[in-house]
Amino acid sequence: MMLSRRHILGIGGVLLASPLYGRAAAQGASPQIEIRMQGNADGSQVWFDPIGIRIRPGQTIRWINLDPGNAHTSTAYHPQNDAHSLRIPERAAPWNSDYLLPQESFSVTFTLEGIYDYFCLPHEHAGMVGRIVVGQPSGPPAKGVASPAQPGTEPIPEAAVRAFPSVDEIMQRGIVRRT
Amino acid sequence: MFLRFVAAAAIAAFTMPALAADQVEKAPPTGSYKKVSELVKLPDFLPGLGQLYVDPKTLPAGPFLAYDRDGRLVSTVYMLPIEDLANKDKRFDNLAAPGGKVDHVDVYYNAGHPGVEKPHAHVVLWHVSKTDEARVAAK
Repeated sequence: MMLSRRHILGIGGVLLASPLYGRAAAQGASPQIEIRMQGNADGSQVWFDPIGIRIRPGQTIRWINLDPGNAHTSTAYHPQNDAHSLRIPERAAPWNSDYLLPQESFSVTFTLEGIYDYFCLPHEHAGMVGRIVVGQPSGPPAKGVASPAQPGTEPIPEAAVRAFPSVDEIMQRGIVRRT
Repeated sequence: MFLRFVAAAAIAAFTMPALAADQVEKAPPTGSYKKVSELVKLPDFLPGLGQLYVDPKTLPAGPFLAYDRDGRLVSTVYMLPIEDLANKDKRFDNLAAPGGKVDHVDVYYNAGHPGVEKPHAHVVLWHVSKTDEARVAAK
């Protein structure tokens, strides 16, 4: 059984995605892009695949948990999400999938250009993070990932800092996979 | 240093007599144990470990009792956060070991999961043979 929760992210906040997604799919204008949540057999390694991706405004990302032995989340770097630093465009609404069990999925449609960093709640300290570049961003996230934590927010764990692909690499290659 | 800590924890668990009189051979165990998948959002059966039960008061270390698909106890698992193992002032003493005879021990890194959200070590006291570990393998 494939379970799914959908969500639209844009300038005006969060809306239910089903009507818009259905219309876009029918027109064939914005194919849905899949990011897999994965892990190895003993749970020692976990990752998003791809870890970095560039999309057009209006495209939908669908995260699906393909790890049979773990639960994962897709959670935006945003103060509303467990006091994390703001690493998505200021006018964009944050998202949090909550825990997804194996084969569950969650979708977000991105309408606002910019750079979006996100993480997996139980695995941020193990470096399970990802980056989405939407359109032609005017600049990188407000601060580099290695910058000191913004006031009132949690510092980004070292393993996560090391894992982020660079914006330049995403812009050049379009898709960046974990090495 | 990390390996010394883990080895000490494993040896302590090996040699310690069972402290509780709970029935643990068959799932569900008696006493204060709760099914992990009902405490946090995790699959009910974890490939490589099995179906887990834990007394919530003992989190995060455990012991977690792991059962095969027929409800037979296969291992006792301790989950020890890496940052605690690297902390010279942190100890894990007197961890209960109610599962009885231990056949062999595995120690390995785990990236985390709901309930123990930071990287940690799994110390697995197997009560079955290496061959019988297949009872909790992925289908």
